[in-house]
Amino acid sequence: MSVDYQASFVGHPPGSAYPKLNFVEDSKVVLGDSKEGAFAYVHHLTLYDLEARGFVRPFCMAYISADEHKIMQQFQELSAEFSKASECLKTGNRKAFANELEKKLKDLDYTRTVLHQETEQQKKANDKGYYTTQAIEKANELASVEKSIIEHQDLLRQIRSYPYRKLKESEFHPYEPECALDRADVSSDQDPTASDFTEPGETHLYTHVPSYTPKLIKAKSAKCFDKKLKTLEELCDVYFFTQTLDQLHHIERTFRGDVCYLLTEQISRALLKQQSVTNFLFEDVSFLDEKPPEKQYRGCQGLGQDAIDEKCSEESMAPKVVISLGSYKSSVECVPIKMEQEMEDSEEPKMSESVMSEHQENLDYLDADIKGSISSGESIEVLGTEKSGTGLTKSESQASLPVIPSPQVGRSKVGSRRTVSEDSIEVLSTCPSESLIPEDFKASYPSAINEEPYVDDDEGGLRFTPRLNPGIDDGQDDISKLESLVQVDAACCIGKESPNFLEPVPELGQKPCEEDGVVRIPPQPYRPAEQGLRGGFPSHDGLSGGLLPYELDSRYLTGSREVSKSSLDECSDSTSYISSTASTCSDRTPSPAHLACVAGEKHRKRAGQNALRFIRQYPFAHPAIYSLLSGRTLVVLGEDETMVKKLVTALSIFVPNCGVYAKPVKHWVTSPLHLVDFQKWKLIGLQRTVSPAGVNVLHALSRYSRYLSILDADSKTLRCPLYKGTVVARLADHRTQIKRGSTYYMHVQSILTQLCSKAFLFTFCHHLHLPISEREPEESVVNRRMNFLKLQLGLANEDIKIVQYLAELLKLHYIQEPGQGGNPLLRFDYVPSFLYKI
Amino acid sequence: MSALCPPPSPAVAKTEISLNGESPLLAATFAYWDNILGPRVRHIWAPKTEQVLLSDGEITFLANHTLNGEILRNAESGAIDVKFFVLAEKRVIIVSLIFDGNWNGDRSTYGLSIILPQSELGFYLPLHRVCVDRLTHIIRKGRIWMHKERQEHFQKIVLEGTERMEDQGQSIIPMLTGEVIPVMELLSSMKSHSVPEEIDISDTVLNDDDIGDSCHEGFLLNAISSHLQTCGCSVVVGSSAEKVNKIVRTLCLFLTPSERKCSRLCRSESSFKYESGLFVQGLLKDATGSFVLPFRQVMYAPYPTTHIDVDVNTVKQMPPCHEHIYNQRRYMRSELTAFWRANSDEEMSQDHIIHTDESFTPDLNVFQDILHRDTLVKAFLDQIFHLKPGLSLRSTFLAQFLLVLHRKALTLIKYIEDDTQKGKKPFKSLRSLKIDLDLTAEGDLNIIMALAEKIKPGLHSFIFGRPFYTSVQERDMLMTF
Repeated sequence: MSVDYQASFVGHPPGSAYPKLNFVEDSKVVLGDSKEGAFAYVHHLTLYDLEARGFVRPFCMAYISADEHKIMQQFQELSAEFSKASECLKTGNRKAFANELEKKLKDLDYTRTVLHQETEQQKKANDKGYYTTQAIEKANELASVEKSIIEHQDLLRQIRSYPYRKLKESEFHPYEPECALDRADVSSDQDPTASDFTEPGETHLYTHVPSYTPKLIKAKSAKCFDKKLKTLEELCDVYFFTQTLDQLHHIERTFRGDVCYLLTEQISRALLKQQSVTNFLFEDVSFLDEKPPEKQYRGCQGLGQDAIDEKCSEESMAPKVVISLGSYKSSVECVPIKMEQEMEDSEEPKMSESVMSEHQENLDYLDADIKGSISSGESIEVLGTEKSGTGLTKSESQASLPVIPSPQVGRSKVGSRRTVSEDSIEVLSTCPSESLIPEDFKASYPSAINEEPYVDDDEGGLRFTPRLNPGIDDGQDDISKLESLVQVDAACCIGKESPNFLEPVPELGQKPCEEDGVVRIPPQPYRPAEQGLRGGFPSHDGLSGGLLPYELDSRYLTGSREVSKSSLDECSDSTSYISSTASTCSDRTPSPAHLACVAGEKHRKRAGQNALRFIRQYPFAHPAIYSLLSGRTLVVLGEDETMVKKLVTALSIFVPNCGVYAKPVKHWVTSPLHLVDFQKWKLIGLQRTVSPAGVNVLHALSRYSRYLSILDADSKTLRCPLYKGTVVARLADHRTQIKRGSTYYMHVQSILTQLCSKAFLFTFCHHLHLPISEREPEESVVNRRMNFLKLQLGLANEDIKIVQYLAELLKLHYIQEPGQGGNPLLRFDYVPSFLYKI
Repeated sequence: MSALCPPPSPAVAKTEISLNGESPLLAATFAYWDNILGPRVRHIWAPKTEQVLLSDGEITFLANHTLNGEILRNAESGAIDVKFFVLAEKRVIIVSLIFDGNWNGDRSTYGLSIILPQSELGFYLPLHRVCVDRLTHIIRKGRIWMHKERQEHFQKIVLEGTERMEDQGQSIIPMLTGEVIPVMELLSSMKSHSVPEEIDISDTVLNDDDIGDSCHEGFLLNAISSHLQTCGCSVVVGSSAEKVNKIVRTLCLFLTPSERKCSRLCRSESSFKYESGLFVQGLLKDATGSFVLPFRQVMYAPYPTTHIDVDVNTVKQMPPCHEHIYNQRRYMRSELTAFWRANSDEEMSQDHIIHTDESFTPDLNVFQDILHRDTLVKAFLDQIFHLKPGLSLRSTFLAQFLLVLHRKALTLIKYIEDDTQKGKKPFKSLRSLKIDLDLTAEGDLNIIMALAEKIKPGLHSFIFGRPFYTSVQERDMLMTF
C-alpha cells in the first residue's frame, strides 16, 4: 500500500521541465497472518537509484513476532528505532546517489567536450558549405548531452538541498560534522564543478571524489532499460549501511524476549528514576544509567560524545581491520569518522583486561551469530524488493570505497539472517543438575538442590566486564583520608550507643541537614555531576594487598572450577505458554541494550543461583545475611579460593551499597586485614594459609574478630550476633520452592525494595527525628523512633537495626557532596557473637 | 491531494454523525473486495464538521487500499485480522479489521476501518485495544447478520420468484452504525476528558494531611485495594464531579502512564455513558441519584471492574479475572447464538436477546463486597501519610510501592514458569507460591496476580481455569484460594 503511494509524483511531473525527486516519508504498517501466527511491523522506505524508474527503489524492513500485542504495545518504540535505521540508510543512499550523479556529470561533461571537439573538427574539415548527416547527428547528440547535463545538475541540486529543506521541518536531524575543522577541510576539498551547483548560503558538505576518471557516454545508452539494478549495499554508502545493520541488530536485541519482561523493565526503569534517593542501596546503577531504547541510537542522528565513545570502544574491540576513513569525506553529508578513529587510538592504551574480555565476548557473539544455530522467536530481516540480497559486488559508484572490509561488513552477513538467540544456544546442552553440584556445597545440608551449575572462571571473566574508567582516580584522596582515620584510636569510637561514623561529614552547615542530622529537605533528583561519576569506579590500588579495580565492580563475578555447562535455567527459555499468542522468547534477555546489560543479567542470575544454594545448604544463613544488612562486616575465610569466591558472590546480593560506586565487596584477599579494609569492605573473602604469612592473616583477623562476623568455609561455621527477626526469614527461607537463581534474585530484589521503602520512610518522616517541644528530652525522641519502627513499620528485634542502618546510609548519601563518592562507613557494635555450626 | 484522488463512486453511502465535542476520528469505512472491480467502499461514516479534513474521495482512496493484498487472503474461518497503517505521506493512521463473510451468496473479504490524523497517534495507541475489541465484536454479529440476509434472500427468491438486488446486504450497515457511532463518541470524550499521563499527587487524596481528611480511611483502603485486585479497572460514580475526579486521579496514580491515557475523568455538566474497556472512568449520577451500568458492556470489559460510589463510600468488585473471562465468553457466545437463532429484526435487538436467551441468565449480583483483605495497600496507606505532603516525598514512596508490586508480579510469573516448565505442566502448589513469595494474605495475592495478569494475559485462567487433576491438588487449591 505504502509503496503505491510512494510511487506517485516521481519522474517528470506535468508542467515541469526536469525530473523531480520526491522525498517521500516512510510508512509503517502492522499486519499479520493469524493462521500462521506471524505478525510483523513493516517499515517502508524509498531509496534513490539513478537507473531505476522514476529514480526510486522501494524497500522495507520488518520486525516479525508471534505476538501481535507485543508489536502494538511496543509500536512507538519500534517505530522510533526503525526510523533511525531508515534515516541512516537514506542518508547513505543520498550520499551514494549524489556521488553517482557527480560521476555521471563528469562523464557527461567529458562526453560533451569530446563531442564538441569532434564537431569543431568536422566544421573545420567541412568545406562543402552545408552540414553533413554526421555533423547533424553529432550536433543532436551534443544537444542531448547538454540537456542531460542540465537534468542531472538539477537532480544533484535537489538531492543536496534535501537536508536543508528538511531542517526547516519538524524533527529532522541530519548528519552534521561536529567540528568546524572538518567542515573547512571538506569545503577546501570540494570540486569546483560541484560547488557550482550548490545553493547560495549552503554549507559545503559535499565533496568530490578526486580519483574518478570520466568515461565517454554513448548517446544511446542514456536510456538503457536492461541495466542491472543495484544491490542494497551498492545503493548506500558502506559506512551508513553498516551503521544501519548495527541499528537493526540493536533493535533485535532490544526487543528480544517476552513482552511482559519488556514492559516490566520499562515500568521499573521509569519508577526507579523517581526514587533516585534510594537507588544506590541495592539497585544496579549501570542498569539505571543505560539510556532507554529511544536514546540508545549509536549510529546516525547527532552522534554525541557518548555515542562516539561507545563506537570507539566497539570498534577497538573488533578485529584489527582498519577502515580507510579518508575516503568517506565526500559527497552528501560529512561524518566525523576520522575524529572517532583518533579517539579510538588514544583510548587504546587504556584498555584494560576487562575491556579485552568484552572484546572477546564480542567475538564470541559474532561467532555465535555466524554459526547460525537455532533462532529465537523473533527476527529481523532486511527485505529488498529486488535483488538486494546478492553478494557484495562493488558497483562503479563505489569504486573509491575501501577494499578492506570493515568489521561491520562482517556483521552485515549476520544481519541478513535470523539472529541467533543465546537462549537457544543454551538449550543445546543440558545435564543433570545434581551432578553439577560442587562437592563442597553438597556437604551436609540435605535439601534437594535443583539448580544450574557454575560457569567456569574464564567465562565469568569474559562475561562480566566492568565499566572501568581509570581516568577517574580518587584513590589517592581516599587513601589519605583513610590514613588519617587509621591513626584515630578505634576505641574512642567504640562504646557509643548509636553508631557513629569516623569520617566527618563535611560542612554540615551548608547541607540540607540540621545539626541533629535530620533531613528536612525532600530528596531531589541526582545532580548531573553525580551522574557523571557513576560511569566509572575509583581506583583502589594499594589497599588490602593490591586490590584490582575490577573487583570493585558490583557485576564482577567469580567463576567456579567446573567446566562451562549449560544449566536448567539456561535451557528452558523457549516457549511462552500463558499468552494465547505464544511468543518464543527468552525471559532472561528482555532488553539487553548492549553487552554490559547482558552481563548484568547473567550476573544477577548467577548471584541468585549462588545465594539460593547458600541458603539451602547453610542453616545459619539468616544471621550471616543479617550481618550484611545491618552493616557488620562479614569475612568469609577459607583455603579454597573458588569456594570462598562463590560464597562471597552468593552473599553479595544482600550487601547494601554505601555510595554511588560498586558494592563494598572484596572477593579474595590474601594479605592480613587492616582497619581500613573494614571501612572499605562489608564482605571480604579471605585466604587461610598454613604458611607463616597465613599466621599473620589469622592474627589480624582475630584482632578484630570482636567486631566482625566470620564465616569459615572450611569448617562450615559462622561466628556472628544472634538474629531473631522476620525480615531475613522472608528473604532466605531454606525450604523455598523457588527453583532458579534468576527468580530468587527477583524475589530478593522485591524484599529489599520493601526494606528500602521502610528505610526511606524512617529517614524522611517529618515528625520522627525532632523534639516536638524544646523541652522534650532526647530519650523521648528515641522512644518515639523505636515505637515508629515497631508499630508503624512492623519491625521486631534485629530487623530494627537493619532499617536503622539503611536509613543511616540514606542520610549520609543524601547529604554528601555531589561527586564526592560514597563515604565508607566504619562502625563497631559491641554485640555478643555466637558460634553456629552445621 | 484531493485533486489526485478519483471521485467517489455514487454508490458509496455516507452517514454524517453529529458529535458534541471535537472528534479525533476522521472517518470510518466499510469496504469489500469485489471480484471484478477489486476493493470497493460500501459505506462511509464521518463526523459532521465545518472543516473537511479528508474529502470523500480521499477516504475512499484510503479505504480501498486497506484491502490491497487481501485477494490472496488465507485466514482461518472466522478470523478477524487487524492491520494498522501509519501513512506519513497522507498524514493519517488507519486501523483496519479484515474479515471474510458471505454476502449475496458470495464469500468475500471485507474491511471495517477507522481513519485518524497522524497527529493523534499518541492519543490513539493506548485506546487501540478498546477500539479493536469493540469493533471485533460487532463484526462477529455483523457476519451472522450477513449470513442470515443471504438465507432470507434465497427464501424470498424461492417464494416470490423475484430478486430484489437493492435489499441485499443493507442491514449490516445499521448494525455497524450502532457501534461505529459509540466508538466515535468514546474517542471524542477521551479527547476532552482523558486522564493526563502525569498526575500531580497534590490533586489526589494522597496529598491530604492525614488519611481521613478527604474520605474515610476504610473506604480509601477498600477502593485502592479492590482497584488493584481488579487489574486497575474501576468505575467511580458520585453526585459531585469534583469528588469523583479526585478519586479517579487517586486511582490512576496506581496505573502506568499509558493506562492513565485509557482512563476518563467525569464530566461535570452531564454524565458520559459507561464505556467498556477503559481502566478508570468517572461517572456522574443523575438527578435521582443513581447511575445504571449497562450489564452487557460491563461484562465485555477485558478485566473485572471495581464499582466505587463516593457518595455512600461503598466499594464493590466483580469476581477475579478467570471467572470474569469465563462469564464473559459464555455471555458472548450465548448472545451470538441467540442472534443466530433470531428470525426477525425485533428478535435481533439487544434487549430481546438478553431477556429471551435461555442458555445464559446473567448473574445480577455481579458486583460483590470485597472478600479478601490485603496487607500491602494497608501498610502503604498507614505509612505514606507520615511523610510531609507538598514535597516529592510521597511521590517517591508511591513509586517504591509500585516498584515492589511490579517486582513481585514478575517474580510470580517467573515462579510459575519455573514450576510448570513454561506451561508444559499444570501448576501444582499455590500454597508454596504464597509462602515463598510472601503473599500469604489473600488480598496480597489477588493484587499481585491482577498485576501479573495485565503483563501476562491468561495467567489466571492458566492457574485456576484447569480441571483439577488429583485430589491432592484439589485440596491444595481449595485450601489456598
